[in-house]
Amino acid sequence: MKITNTRFLLALSAIVIFTQCLTQAQPLNNPVLILNKVDDVINAPKDQDYKVKLVLIDSKGNEKEREMSMLQNGSDKRVVKFLSPADQKGIAFLSLPNDMMYLYLPAFKKTRRIASHVKNTNFAGTDFTYEDMEAIRYADKWVPDLARSENNKYVLQLSPKAAGLSDYSKLVMTVRADNFYPERIEHYNKSGKLCKIMTRDGIEQISGYWVCTESQMEDLKTKHKTRMIMTDMKLDSGIPDDKFTERFLTR
Amino acid sequence: MKRLILTISVLWAISVCPVLAQDSIPTDNGISWGGYLQANECLRLKGRNNYSWQEYRWVLKAEVKPTTKSHFYGELWVRTWGGSNVMNTTDLTDKDKVSPGNIELKEAYVDFYGFLFEKLDLRIGKQRIAWGTADKLNQTDNLNPKDLEEIWDFGRHLGSEGLKASYYLGDYTLTAVYIPLFTPAVLPRGDWASVLSPSMELPAGMILKSRTDIVSLPRNNPEESSTAGLQMSKNLLGYDLSLSYIYGRDDLPIASEISLVPAGASGEVDITSELMYPRRRIVGADLAGTVANVGIWAEAAVVFPDRATMVTDLSAFGLGIQEMTVLDDEPYAKYVVGGDYTFKNGIYVNGQYLHGFIHERGKENLEDYFMFRMERKFLEEKLKIAPIGGGVEIKNTNDIKNNYAVIYTPEISYKPVDNAEITLGLRIFEGKNTTTFGRVKDNNEACLKVEYSF
Repeated sequence: MKITNTRFLLALSAIVIFTQCLTQAQPLNNPVLILNKVDDVINAPKDQDYKVKLVLIDSKGNEKEREMSMLQNGSDKRVVKFLSPADQKGIAFLSLPNDMMYLYLPAFKKTRRIASHVKNTNFAGTDFTYEDMEAIRYADKWVPDLARSENNKYVLQLSPKAAGLSDYSKLVMTVRADNFYPERIEHYNKSGKLCKIMTRDGIEQISGYWVCTESQMEDLKTKHKTRMIMTDMKLDSGIPDDKFTERFLTR
Repeated sequence: MKRLILTISVLWAISVCPVLAQDSIPTDNGISWGGYLQANECLRLKGRNNYSWQEYRWVLKAEVKPTTKSHFYGELWVRTWGGSNVMNTTDLTDKDKVSPGNIELKEAYVDFYGFLFEKLDLRIGKQRIAWGTADKLNQTDNLNPKDLEEIWDFGRHLGSEGLKASYYLGDYTLTAVYIPLFTPAVLPRGDWASVLSPSMELPAGMILKSRTDIVSLPRNNPEESSTAGLQMSKNLLGYDLSLSYIYGRDDLPIASEISLVPAGASGEVDITSELMYPRRRIVGADLAGTVANVGIWAEAAVVFPDRATMVTDLSAFGLGIQEMTVLDDEPYAKYVVGGDYTFKNGIYVNGQYLHGFIHERGKENLEDYFMFRMERKFLEEKLKIAPIGGGVEIKNTNDIKNNYAVIYTPEISYKPVDNAEITLGLRIFEGKNTTTFGRVKDNNEACLKVEYSF
């Protein structure tokens, strides 16, 4: 009886392990599930606090630098403050849910509400637009379609959920199958032409979360690139919600 | 009684200081320095191309954040004016006349965050308090005195020594401001001095020989000199809204007495006038938001002025003393409505309709203005061209043909390196002499501005 039980348990364990292996090896084919996992991974930390060095590279290879501090709470609140260059120091940008955006201009001692028409304009001379700088969950704005699955990567084609939600006609996102982190996003303009490519190089684990410490946005028309390098990253440091208000924007 | 007050004060200090100390986390004791250097030259386009403006400005900003609960900010302007004010050899010994300049403390204040209560922020010192949602031409921005020295720098105000307390209660922000001392507005400098002054018409046969005036400031006490303001703001249905109330004085003077004295046999007269600053109360409201991707804003200020009268002394001519109302106590509303939009090709447009310009007051004296600007950036935002900019002034909508002025202010800016910007602009005026800007149609000018931030 004892031997029978042992055999039974062994057989059961083998079935469980085999099933798990099968499941792991089995690529997902549900694009909505993949995009939700992408959102979960990139927004996994409850909050993020880091410094950003932006390197602007023109078509001739000339470089300019900007420095910012960035705070993010969840997936829909973000504060960006410029630390350099001198003529932009102190300018601060607040992104809140429902397209609420504010810009603090220290020279005028004033916080200005920014309308959604600026979303397609470049953020402080970088290749990132205000829309690119928003903190969002992709699944809230985009409908995914699985274009292909190859080399342990998923390639999703994202179409806007509704007209006017984005200035891009579609995104093509390459997602790593091992951790669901998007490592390349192709941006297509309203004419359906590929206009910008975002690549993420430094994808690593910090405090148990997958994060990207270096990314690059390239404008294919102007041949201009912006490299974004994140440092001093603090995750889950308990940033209070009231940091994402006009009150703190001016400080 | 004094002992009681002293005891309460000490108890209050003992109770408050530890609270502040406990919550304050030291950050960085170092001073952060910054600022910019600006050279601004303007040249008349008519006549002998005289310089109409020359200014060299060095702005120094200092900021300290010793703890998370406090912050100091100071801004100093050091300026020299091109050209000399030398009239005689004595003046040649006076450096202020040979090479005029000035030092101005624009702002110097301390912030206490979470003062007494977690949701209360306090700012004490010389500060700029900018209210309103419109673009530079804000009808509700009436706490700081206007600085019209460079009249085209719309929105520029002096800092005021005072206290601002902001309390954050859920979605609401309540702001209270107290400015103990009245400071008058700075009037336009140089050739522009007359642009905001109404033209003076003398009785037939009289010729102005000289004009002197006395400015009468309010008495130097809280009752006469103070300004107080309250504002409540909130976001409602996606729109930022605020309501405000200000009790203070008009910062632009108004004549209260004029005396005419004969100064020659050929009808020449000397005029002596006295100017004062009438009391006013202002109820304001503003909003900002988005409609179909277009940024919109609106501001309205209903001004409740005290009645101001002017006594004209013509007794030297045997005509006695006459009194007339120069500002009725009837409320009047000034407002601005505007919007902006960025097209897909990067062209940015901005337009505002104003009822009542910055210097206008009294229901019957408010004119209509439409201000606009179109610009686009090129060469990775190094080059900015604004081919269309300016405004239209309409003094009387029933007779536009004889009561209009057009202001055309195209501009081009270039950033050769980070932190540096060179701007070349034109100011062209056309219109009827009945209007504010029509009166300066001979003042067309070209300006070059170079700015370097550090």
